[in-house]
Amino acid sequence: MKLNTQFMGQTLIHALAGVPVTLEITIVTLLISVPLAFLMALARIKGRGIGNRIISVYVSMIRSTPVVLQILFLYSLIPTLLNYLLNQVWHLDINIFRVNPIVYAFVVFSLNTTAILSEVFRSALLTVGKGQMEAALCAGLTSWQAYIRIVIPQALVSALPNLCNTSINLLKSTSLAFMMTVKDIMAITKVDAAFGYNYIEAYLVVFVIYIVLCTVVQLLFTFIEKNLSGYKKLVAG
Amino acid sequence: MRPFHPEFILTAFVQIIPYLWVTIATMIGTVVFGSLIGLILARANIRRGFVSRVLAQAYIYITRCIPSIVMLFIVYYGLPELMLGFGIDLNNMNKGFFVIVTFSILFSANMAEVFRSAYETIDKGQREAALCAGLSEWQAFYRIVLPQCIVVALPNFTNALVNLMKEGSLSYTIGLIDVMGKGQLMIGQNFGSYSLETYLALTVIYWGLTVIMEKGFGGLEERISKRKKLAAAS
Repeated sequence: MKLNTQFMGQTLIHALAGVPVTLEITIVTLLISVPLAFLMALARIKGRGIGNRIISVYVSMIRSTPVVLQILFLYSLIPTLLNYLLNQVWHLDINIFRVNPIVYAFVVFSLNTTAILSEVFRSALLTVGKGQMEAALCAGLTSWQAYIRIVIPQALVSALPNLCNTSINLLKSTSLAFMMTVKDIMAITKVDAAFGYNYIEAYLVVFVIYIVLCTVVQLLFTFIEKNLSGYKKLVAG
Repeated sequence: MRPFHPEFILTAFVQIIPYLWVTIATMIGTVVFGSLIGLILARANIRRGFVSRVLAQAYIYITRCIPSIVMLFIVYYGLPELMLGFGIDLNNMNKGFFVIVTFSILFSANMAEVFRSAYETIDKGQREAALCAGLSEWQAFYRIVLPQCIVVALPNFTNALVNLMKEGSLSYTIGLIDVMGKGQLMIGQNFGSYSLETYLALTVIYWGLTVIMEKGFGGLEERISKRKKLAAAS
């Protein structure tokens, strides 16, 4: 077996153009999902009733179906639905099919990650003992202050390892964004590969890029964890 | 708006269900081979040998960083070429073979961690006490350490299994006709119509499978830990 190294070098340069796209999807998704997931986790801990039921069904459904299926389903649903609503119901005359497909990637991955993160935050919030909250309330803090100052910082520290895992899984699953015609790393190398049937070389390039990206993410989280646990010690001391 | 026929969900469901055995067969194959590799990795990781530990950890790290679809393509396109170098022709091999190879590689890394964490939670004193009480090494492992390991490992194993099933849906990209592949095939045969209905049927299937697995293994875990409590009480 001989690898075409010249092709690999070329593809690497091409594929690097896709790295910002992959990172953009990951970061925007996290920015959308983290607050939403946090609110959901709070709602599930505190609330009862129909809203809670809906959230738990949503979480269960997202967590038990493959990401590919979610991508294919939503990508065949959202554009036509929006087109119908905007142009036939409200007559706004917007060409929805010219929207950058990356928007759909944001939507799909946010829906997915929100469900996963809400479970992460829920278990993290549950690790903070009830006594903490009660003590804070006794000390005269409002329940909002108690959450912001006492519960959330502690929960965040215990959520970090899982948050890191989720981010890495998200980064990995963005490689499926090519199904929504987003030009990320995978899509670019796929085009290059199909040109001269150099599939192995092309995917080995993607392989290397993803290892580097994941390493960067893990280092980042290790750094944050170190800083935050120092902060925790400060609080404890 | 495209037309939506809810009744087609049932039609799709009935047509897809027979292909469930492909999904389940590839999963079983993967679990068998993946667990074997995972055991070897976990053993290498627990033992003191420096080189074997570094190798095992590097393997686990790299496979954790790789998207399944990239791994699948590398194995699908790369393995036949590699094996051709050894004079083995894999080009007419069943696609399920490549799926099992790929996911065994990925699953074994998860399993190695599951085994290691389960093994490490069991106190060493347990084994030593069993040996002192006159049990042989095998008996101590089989009767004392293993049952406790299983209770610890089961939830993680269930998680890994559900993830395997979800990632396994990617195998339609190399042309394996499993549940997902049949769904895609049906959409193709209907010239792209009924896609929403088909995907909904697939959602129901995957959701159902996950619930069955979680309930099943949860029940098993409960039974084993109940027996353990019983043994502790008597």
